[in-house]
Amino acid sequence: MPSDLRISPLGRVEGDLDLRVTIRDGVVTDAWTEASMFRGFEIILRGKDPQAGLIVTPRICGICGGSHLYKAAYALDTAWKTHVPRNATLIRNIAQACETLLSIPRWFYALFAVDLCNPKYKHLPEYDEVVRRFAAFVGTSFEPGVTLSAKPVEIYAMFGGQWPHSSFMIPGGVMCAPSLSDVTRSIAILDAWKRDWLEKQWLGCSVERWMEIKSWNDMLAWAEENESQRNSDCGLFIRFAQRAGLDKYGQGVGAFLATGTFFDPSKYEHPTVDGRNDALVSRAGIYDGSAFHDFDHLNVREDTAHSFYKGDKSLHPWQGETDPIDPLEGHKQGKYSWSKSPRYDVPGKGAIPLEVGPLARQVMAGREGAASHQEYDPFILDAINTVGPSILVRVMARMHEAPKYAGLVRKWLDEIDLHDRFYTKPVEHATGRGFGSTEAARGSLSDWIVLSDGKIENYQVITPTAWNIGPRDRLGRHGPMEQAFIGAEIQNPNDPIEMGHVARSYDSCLVCTVHAYDEKTGKELSRFRIGEMG
Amino acid sequence: MATVLWLQGGACSGNTMSFLNAEEPSACDLVTDFGIDILWHPSLGVEMGAPVRQMLDDLAAGRRQLDLFVFEGTVILGPNNTGRFNMFADRPMKDWVKELAAHAGAVVALGDCACWGGIPAVDPNPVDNIGLQYMKRNHGGFLGSDFKSKWGLPVVNIPGCPAHPDWVTQILVAIASGRAGDIALDDLQRPQTFFKTFTQTGCTRVQYFEYKQSTMEFGQGTRQGCLFYELGCRGPMTHSPCNRILWNRQSSKTRAGMPCTGCTEPEWPFHDLKPGTVFKTQKVSGTIPKEVPTGTDHVSYMAHAAAARIAAPKWTKEDMFVV
Repeated sequence: MPSDLRISPLGRVEGDLDLRVTIRDGVVTDAWTEASMFRGFEIILRGKDPQAGLIVTPRICGICGGSHLYKAAYALDTAWKTHVPRNATLIRNIAQACETLLSIPRWFYALFAVDLCNPKYKHLPEYDEVVRRFAAFVGTSFEPGVTLSAKPVEIYAMFGGQWPHSSFMIPGGVMCAPSLSDVTRSIAILDAWKRDWLEKQWLGCSVERWMEIKSWNDMLAWAEENESQRNSDCGLFIRFAQRAGLDKYGQGVGAFLATGTFFDPSKYEHPTVDGRNDALVSRAGIYDGSAFHDFDHLNVREDTAHSFYKGDKSLHPWQGETDPIDPLEGHKQGKYSWSKSPRYDVPGKGAIPLEVGPLARQVMAGREGAASHQEYDPFILDAINTVGPSILVRVMARMHEAPKYAGLVRKWLDEIDLHDRFYTKPVEHATGRGFGSTEAARGSLSDWIVLSDGKIENYQVITPTAWNIGPRDRLGRHGPMEQAFIGAEIQNPNDPIEMGHVARSYDSCLVCTVHAYDEKTGKELSRFRIGEMG
Repeated sequence: MATVLWLQGGACSGNTMSFLNAEEPSACDLVTDFGIDILWHPSLGVEMGAPVRQMLDDLAAGRRQLDLFVFEGTVILGPNNTGRFNMFADRPMKDWVKELAAHAGAVVALGDCACWGGIPAVDPNPVDNIGLQYMKRNHGGFLGSDFKSKWGLPVVNIPGCPAHPDWVTQILVAIASGRAGDIALDDLQRPQTFFKTFTQTGCTRVQYFEYKQSTMEFGQGTRQGCLFYELGCRGPMTHSPCNRILWNRQSSKTRAGMPCTGCTEPEWPFHDLKPGTVFKTQKVSGTIPKEVPTGTDHVSYMAHAAAARIAAPKWTKEDMFVV
């Protein structure tokens, strides 16, 4: 059955990922995620100018372009051993956070919540209200939610000139030197967005009140605390999601990776790979389901056993290879995706699949031992420990970052010293190796660069989508999203909306085509696509 | 009422993301106020399953009216001209494009990739990307030189990486408000109303350009000067309204201190990103820009530059964009 590769008709999507599942007695028993579009960016970068990644990698993904730029700049900073002035670190942090602030409501309204209007939920008491608010284009929350999502990147444009696809972060700092009004307008835009969408529409309370939540039970109590919170989009969603059972499935692998993001400006003036973990604000780490581990990029592997590339090696990205083969040939070898399978070698556990994204980040935020400049927040780790991962927990981890990042952006704006430097011209070494990483809205995003003779010898990118939707590895272990589908109960095989919820809860940058099969007969039950942006 | 089908080939979705930043009209306004009927869009389409496939088949066969076919991303031909690097709804995307284009009132190539190949087509062009009616500056592309849509138009190119939302939405409003006849195309099939001017038109650094005063480094260095002389800015040679219609309602790359890389022109990214070409002005004899502003030549440029430097007032050597 894995040999069947037909891509089917459509749902809300682009064209890159198929998902095939088998169903027995209404329950998903197995799943294959199949990335079906290949462009070859790593091949394009070979032999190019060392800084070509600043222009090329943002074009891998139009919704994560600023995140691509952020980590590409740090890959060069570490390779060239640059000096990055405090102001530059602040502005890079602001830009990275603003891209994520755009992504959160745009994802919720345009991609995720539309599915809550599915007729499956017609019998629920809040259904009419959900449709009134979340229906595509005409919903009373959809329109302002989507349109106001453009506001945070107005701040990005103030420093980077435009969003998407600026290349204003460069080794040694940033290209801009803002004037007073660039900063004051940014403050005003952030403030208006926080008031109009975040507090008025989404929370129904102040950011400060929301941030008092420290546990899953705190959140459930918050949702019933008063009419304003109860009737907010967030309050309505929490109530509806529980009635719809979104707290009951989509667990995934239950093990998480964050490479972390945002740097303390005074702790990363001389970016090095070794000094990275300690300088982070939003921490890096691995949670294997029972214990935390420090992140070390040398433990990352990319496996190509089931990917349309030559061979079946498992290599560190500095040694990484990108040699595509015709999918027709690949299928004969049991391969089924253009995505490689990223794995992380956890001491004592081997190279295991890990979920990345807001849920992973917020689990890491709950780890004890944060330094004073680092984020500590027990809310989502408590959720994992009490109710376990699910679609609902994954969604709430994502939405929780909106009030959190809004506060950070304001703090960083206030810290910019307009009279200080924004850039230190680096020495452009002809040879070197670098590693740059960040947390895009949808998870850990990293570049590994090898320079020799004044040009790029090797460039490898691991996207959050590859971590989450990558295929089985050489040992046959499922990728995280494949795992998350297994066990889901499908009420109507002709409209398996449950799989849409699971896939979209990961906010992968790809499209999913779902092929539902009856396990006994192999008969195709339905074909439809579910899609994500970027 | 105009029907719109929007598909993505070898794309990053950047043009969609840019489109969703639109205001006056917003994406929602287009639907609710201007009668734009978005039949399907990769990120915004609501329906799924059999009805959508049926609709696609009907559109591709000409059984249902398609006014605007918007395509974002490259057409992927590889491997070996099979299109298997980019499958869509059971078939290579390139086959859908050919059939849908034949029945559309107008075909819009949105963003560089769809216009002329863009970044994915940079040497060695690993998956054989091509634009709808151009490959870089060569006319023809995937649909061929003779292609005309049902309304008698060649492919309408709206380039940029990404295109600014207004470059799309205002064209849609023009069509919806009976002004389609006012949309004139230039010799690269771009709407003149946007692409006749230069990126430099309206740039806040133009006075520094006038007196040939250079920005010497990024960051604090961009408080003065023009980015053309040292930092590789292509604003004087690039056609776009980036400094007339601001980005995200706030700024532009050149205003913020980032050199224009020329992303609305077919050759972008210039020099195929070869070593030494990124954010550095290419020069002859160490000082003279290899490429001079559009319409001038090296001799007259040098004469003008010498005179301009002599005439330069004192303030052109000082910071202007200060705290």
